[in-house]
Amino acid sequence: MKKKLALLLASVMAIGMLAGCGGAPASTASTASTATSGGTSTATSTEGGTATATSDLQVDVFYYDFSDIYISSVRAAMDEQLKAMGIEPKNWDAAGSQPTQTDQVKTAITAGSDLLIVNIVETSTSDPAKDIVEAARAADIPVIFFNREVADNEVINSYEKCAFVGTNAPDAGHMQGEMIGEYLLANYDAVDLNGDGTISYVLFKGQEGNAEAEARTQYAVEDANKLLTEGGKPELAYYDANATTKYLVDTAGKWSAQAANDYMVSLLGSYNEGNNNMVELIICNNDGMAEGAISALQNVGYNNGEGTTIIPVFGVDATDSAKALIKAGNMTGSIKQDAVGMATTINTLVKNVQDGADLMANTDQFVVDSDVDKIRVPYQMYDGTSED
Amino acid sequence: MSNSTKELALKTKSITPKQVGNALLNNALIIIMLLVAAYVAVTQPSFLAPNSLINLLSLTAAYLPVALGIAGCIVLTGTDLSAGRAVGITACVAASLLQATDAANKMWPNIGTLPIPLVILIVVAIGAAIGAFNGFFVAKFKLHPFIVTLATQLILYTILLLYVQQGNNKGMAISGLSAEYRNFVVGNPPLLSFGNIQIPNYVIYAVLLTILMWFIWNKTTFGKNMFALGANEEAARVSGVNVFATTIAVFALAGAMYGWAGFVESARIASNTANTGVNYELDAIAACVIGGVSFVGGIGKISGIVIGVIMLRLIFVALPLVGMDQNLQYAIKGGIILFACALDMRKYLVKK
Repeated sequence: MKKKLALLLASVMAIGMLAGCGGAPASTASTASTATSGGTSTATSTEGGTATATSDLQVDVFYYDFSDIYISSVRAAMDEQLKAMGIEPKNWDAAGSQPTQTDQVKTAITAGSDLLIVNIVETSTSDPAKDIVEAARAADIPVIFFNREVADNEVINSYEKCAFVGTNAPDAGHMQGEMIGEYLLANYDAVDLNGDGTISYVLFKGQEGNAEAEARTQYAVEDANKLLTEGGKPELAYYDANATTKYLVDTAGKWSAQAANDYMVSLLGSYNEGNNNMVELIICNNDGMAEGAISALQNVGYNNGEGTTIIPVFGVDATDSAKALIKAGNMTGSIKQDAVGMATTINTLVKNVQDGADLMANTDQFVVDSDVDKIRVPYQMYDGTSED
Repeated sequence: MSNSTKELALKTKSITPKQVGNALLNNALIIIMLLVAAYVAVTQPSFLAPNSLINLLSLTAAYLPVALGIAGCIVLTGTDLSAGRAVGITACVAASLLQATDAANKMWPNIGTLPIPLVILIVVAIGAAIGAFNGFFVAKFKLHPFIVTLATQLILYTILLLYVQQGNNKGMAISGLSAEYRNFVVGNPPLLSFGNIQIPNYVIYAVLLTILMWFIWNKTTFGKNMFALGANEEAARVSGVNVFATTIAVFALAGAMYGWAGFVESARIASNTANTGVNYELDAIAACVIGGVSFVGGIGKISGIVIGVIMLRLIFVALPLVGMDQNLQYAIKGGIILFACALDMRKYLVKK
């Protein structure tokens, strides 16, 4: 014990001595970044991807979960674009835990970050985001939230170096509903396997209490029903008439393929063509869940290319793997959340910080909310006929 | 490792090389930790800035209570998989009882904001009750704690999922905490604020808790009984230790710690959902084994646990600082756990 203590004390002293000379370089680095940024910016704008001029801007990007496939595609696009701008981003994985992310942000700030780009974990309340904004304000560094929306506009407005880049959440649900409605009207009899005149469906929800999940869950069905009614068809019927909620939710809140797969496998046990009550339409909050559902269907001989019965499955995100499924005809449609477009928009703001301009400069070509610095990246429909 | 052993051995003539080697191996983790710290400090001098060190200290303080609690279960050759969910449930309860009166979706609108000491008592009692429940099944039916606490973890998750649906909350995150509560936990005591350098309150609580646990482990009959029971149940029973009561008490004490952790986490994160606390037990168990609390039973020191928690937080803070790919952090954690346990068993095997 005594030995340990002595060792510890000695090392603390050594560290302390280093600390004396440690403080300075970090602060010079951050001032240098503003000085050199003019040079790097011209290099990147003329040469695009091939420019390798480096910037001293320390950019920290906080992802809510590395295991999320859509977020991974954003990460790939971000890494590529930032590197082209001469920035070496530091990526952090919160693994779906807000405590972890809050700790990471504070750690990054103490490490001398110049810009925080945050994919917040918690979306059902804006308090954690508020804490992050306060921490950024205390350190006087800009913070850009993206993808997962900070619902409370006041939080974004409370700090002039704060912005949000994301989609307008309800649009994905509206667009998915429209897509489903149109598809069903065009293929009604083929989809209605048991010929009872109504389409029975199941909906997989990604998470309870998440604004995007709530909007997608509500509007996908509502808007599809609206189109069906207009087209003279009955509304969609939930596969289990006695269910209290008209969706099955990933209780871990991870929008996971595994959760959708588990549900699908178990419900296929009692709802199938043998019992004449097969689920005829599957709506998913994201493509991960759609893939999980499709793999369960494939296990029992559906959605497996030409010659098999295709149960229409709709997702959101248009991830690469979902696109492949759609091209192969095993999945019907998805709503493209443009990962590259998202990254490009975020990096427009990063460029502003790099150049010492206002955070929200050069954003005329984007859709920006009138009362708050929130930039909306539009969604697009994606089906078998879409160009990639 | 072997090269440095030889070099050091040459310098010290009075001690045999074997002794040096053993001393190095026995303290290998501390040495590695210091090497990591030194490496990070050299490549990223900002790591040693006061704010960065305070950050490391705060993180350690936040994760310490769960580790201090779970360590007792490990000393009894057990474990506690329910710790994370226990933290989650106590965090949600604490948050729901301490929401500001004007919070949107206030869960229990009729109770106002309860006094903080009362809420501490409530959540610590809930935690202790959960622990006692675990302890009862372990002691009474001789079930392995792994099984008992796995079951409890699942049961608690259901309770947690149901609880967050109650009142006006409807499954949303419980937030809008009263300023008084947040200040009580994350505020900075004036005595420990030096300009920009501010040490949050919960660091002080963690220090007090560590002292309390040290006292319980080393200076009380209960603590001695716990170690006797962990080392050899039969021998403990023969020498008059009440195995049943001691087991329940160890788990209940652990539970009380989770209750406290829940109380702190709730205000620290300011947003509590059914996912709050998930997997905290894994980090805590890892910290304990890294700190030399052995699954063999009857072995462990409070100082070791503190070092284990610091070690894990150091990995968390340092790896990104030196630009390590975040994908690798899990493998590095795993490697350290394996290494630490192997070292630990080596000591034990030598004794045999």
